[in-house]
Amino acid sequence: MQPAPPPPDATTLHVAVFAGMAELVGGRRLALDWSGGSVDDLRQLVARRHPEVAALLARSAVAVDGRYAADGDPVGSGADVAIIPPVSGG
Amino acid sequence: MERSGGIAAAPARQGFAALVRAAIDPATVLAAVRDASAGGNVLFLGTARSMTAGVATRALEYDAHESLAAATLDALRQTAIARFGLTASAVVHRLGHVPVGEAAVAVATSGPHRAEAFAAAEWLMAEIKRQVPIWKGEDRGGGRIEWQHPESAPRPGGGP
Repeated sequence: MQPAPPPPDATTLHVAVFAGMAELVGGRRLALDWSGGSVDDLRQLVARRHPEVAALLARSAVAVDGRYAADGDPVGSGADVAIIPPVSGG
Repeated sequence: MERSGGIAAAPARQGFAALVRAAIDPATVLAAVRDASAGGNVLFLGTARSMTAGVATRALEYDAHESLAAATLDALRQTAIARFGLTASAVVHRLGHVPVGEAAVAVATSGPHRAEAFAAAEWLMAEIKRQVPIWKGEDRGGGRIEWQHPESAPRPGGGP
């Protein structure tokens, strides 16, 4: 199935990814056509465009403008967005 | 915050938090928490070990959301001071390539007596592993890094 064309008011949203998710997508950020929506909308879009990360994404948090966001929180078109998978520092 | 070299930032009076991309100097981390009022001083180093679950590790790689990791490390450090009545605490995490035997993380705590300094260092390490957005990759040879995203870990940020 071909992806639907982006709506005319869509802009490019860059989403930072790290560690195993960066390895899965072959880069450190995703570029998505985005015309606004919630964190949950963004999760669904990422899972459609990058099905290879869907399982890890389901276990990940989303940070918007430097703070962890709930699934219902809005993501503006100019937001600073990062996907934070389960951590393993120390 | 110094990100590209060793620990160059002057420690604040009650310690500091930093991410670095070069070898951690333990003496600098410990010195940052020394104070005439502190009788107990603890320094913990987490070092890259050569074997994990029976598999040889050549080196570790660490990735991070740097701004969120630095802010979280500093918040944890300050929480530890208040929670355990510390004199000071300092936390340094190394990012990038960490050869076997070298330190990936250093935590120093000081307090009037040893009990709170030991307890705070253990608490800080547990919280760093639980909530700071830093990821470890194991280089087991073969040119591939095995990034660690534990199945048992809660979703970061305490989300649903």
